[in-house]
Amino acid sequence: MNFTNLQIQTEQLPKVEDVVLKPISKSYLKIILLNKLALYTGLIGLVFGLKYIIEKKEEFQLNLWYMLSAVVVFCIFNFIVSLLAFKKRKYAMREHDVVYAKGLLVHSITTVPISRIQHVEESRSWLARHFGLATLKIFTAGEAGSDLSIKGLPYIEAKQIKEIISDKVNGNN
Amino acid sequence: METTDFSQPIRQSSKGIIIIFAFNAFSFFKKFFVLFIAFGVSIMRRKSFGGITPTMMLLALLGVLIIILVIAILKYLNFKFHLSKDDFHLATGIINKDNTIIPKSKIQNVYIKQNFLQQIINVVSVKIETAGDKKSEIEISALDKPTALLLKKKLFNKANVENEHAEQIDTIEASEVFFKVTPKRLLLEGISQNHFKSFLLILTFAYGIYSEFKDFLKDLELEKHVEGLVKLDEDTILNLIITNVVIILVVVLFSFLFSIVTTFIINFNLEVVEHQKTIEINKGLFNKVSLSLTPSRIQNLVIKTNRVKQYFNLHSLSVKQAMVNAKQQKNFKIVALEKEQLNHLINKLLINYNNEGEVAKPRPYFIRISVLEMLAFGIVINALSLFLFGIEMLWINVVFVPFAVLYVYFAYKKAYYKISDNFLTIGSGVIDTTTNILEIHKIQEVELKQTLFQQRTDIASLVISTASKSVTIPYISKLEALSIYNFLLYKVESQDRDWM
Repeated sequence: MNFTNLQIQTEQLPKVEDVVLKPISKSYLKIILLNKLALYTGLIGLVFGLKYIIEKKEEFQLNLWYMLSAVVVFCIFNFIVSLLAFKKRKYAMREHDVVYAKGLLVHSITTVPISRIQHVEESRSWLARHFGLATLKIFTAGEAGSDLSIKGLPYIEAKQIKEIISDKVNGNN
Repeated sequence: METTDFSQPIRQSSKGIIIIFAFNAFSFFKKFFVLFIAFGVSIMRRKSFGGITPTMMLLALLGVLIIILVIAILKYLNFKFHLSKDDFHLATGIINKDNTIIPKSKIQNVYIKQNFLQQIINVVSVKIETAGDKKSEIEISALDKPTALLLKKKLFNKANVENEHAEQIDTIEASEVFFKVTPKRLLLEGISQNHFKSFLLILTFAYGIYSEFKDFLKDLELEKHVEGLVKLDEDTILNLIITNVVIILVVVLFSFLFSIVTTFIINFNLEVVEHQKTIEINKGLFNKVSLSLTPSRIQNLVIKTNRVKQYFNLHSLSVKQAMVNAKQQKNFKIVALEKEQLNHLINKLLINYNNEGEVAKPRPYFIRISVLEMLAFGIVINALSLFLFGIEMLWINVVFVPFAVLYVYFAYKKAYYKISDNFLTIGSGVIDTTTNILEIHKIQEVELKQTLFQQRTDIASLVISTASKSVTIPYISKLEALSIYNFLLYKVESQDRDWM
């Protein structure tokens, strides 16, 4: 069989583009916002800290405002991107695999077949516990970095998915 | 030949004391190297240091060596291993006794290695790897070769003890040396290598030395020739150019030699032995290694060649296996294969691979991206040369522009992908011609990537990961990417085949 044959066949195959992806929990946006705010205050604080340290030198005075505005522009840009990117974080579970889509600038759709999953983990940071969220980590035997981690799932749902996957993984063995 | 009985706890060969001693002494001196230098220098200068004379130092050194020797002997005495029916047992430790038990079924790899010292005293070391983290590997550092081979065989002979005899005879009969590299082909392999890497390595090294000496030379000569410098202006410029050309030539020569020598050292006496089910690789001059390949564990095959190598009929085959640490992974490479030998090996490792399927190429968008990359690279190079050497250095573009054009041309020419029922083949490379083959049922994860700019033109890339490597099908139309995506997932999920 060659590739042209395959084209016809693919018409009947289950399509990943037809899967209705579910957005992650809205409250995860709050966590992103808090994280970003912490980052921005850190950055701006750094600029002022620099100013304080080299205040004695006159010529640095001018550069500092450029630096500050550059940092602020970066922050605003970063903020907008992460707000828009939030909408792109979606996931779905099919009978045989888990699908996760993310990214605004580089949009990616990753699929891990359940038969290839080694183990599942559900972890919660302090903030996530506060908002009732959890991160679902899916480990495959793939090379480092090819593991999937779905952030910002409602805790109950994360637990359910984890149960389903573990059942299937253990059932297969 | 007397066969060793592994059922009783045994020690390694008594030569192991030497190996352990040498290894410990070496790591000790490596650790305190700086201290030694500092101490030695200060003693040399002042003949004594806080009442310590050179003789006392020597005595202390001797004492340390004796302590290391005693530790080595104790380690040797306390290192015992044996095999039970299903497990490998190992007892170690002088004061803290460790008892390790590894089920045979959990052993992933067994390597036989021989470093320089081990070659002199004629022992080998056996390394046992499990799927766990790096710390869980076990090394028996001194066994004579027949014992090591027997141990390896017994470790792999899992629970099926009953037909052990029959199987052993089978494997002995079936194994034959399939491929043995000749020095001439190895030399050709070394010459025809991609020298860019070693060139860069040596260049930075040479440049470092040169700049060190330049200061030194300046100190010497400038003062002498201050008056002569004005007159000899043209001469000095010529001199400078000549020295630079000479340096570059020397560096090129050195990088040639470097590649050849490293190829020789690593692949000395390369030998591929075909067993019934597995394939064994033996190679190395100072560090002899013996590795075995199991087809079921193989995840990716990477075939590399280039124009010159094609002319000499040289191909190299890297085998990426699952559950092998990165350092060992490099050793699974067979160089200087002829085309027929390569095909034979591929057929042995991948059942039913017949290179079928229609060749498809990335979209012309690939060219656009490559051109942009080269443009960015060119800007950086121009800016650097302008900044470092002044306006004259812009002639570098005479070299750079044709290079960039050729780069883009070959990168696109060599990029292709091929999908058949069970295999995925991806070609890439610029100087080298690289072919990546993987079995579809060994895929762990599929990812579709699309940047914001690619959305308008409907271009996407596919990243396909197995347990040992990720490969990319770059810049194809999104529709095609999705259909491949669905096809690969369908293949993986519909057939219940194990990836290992």
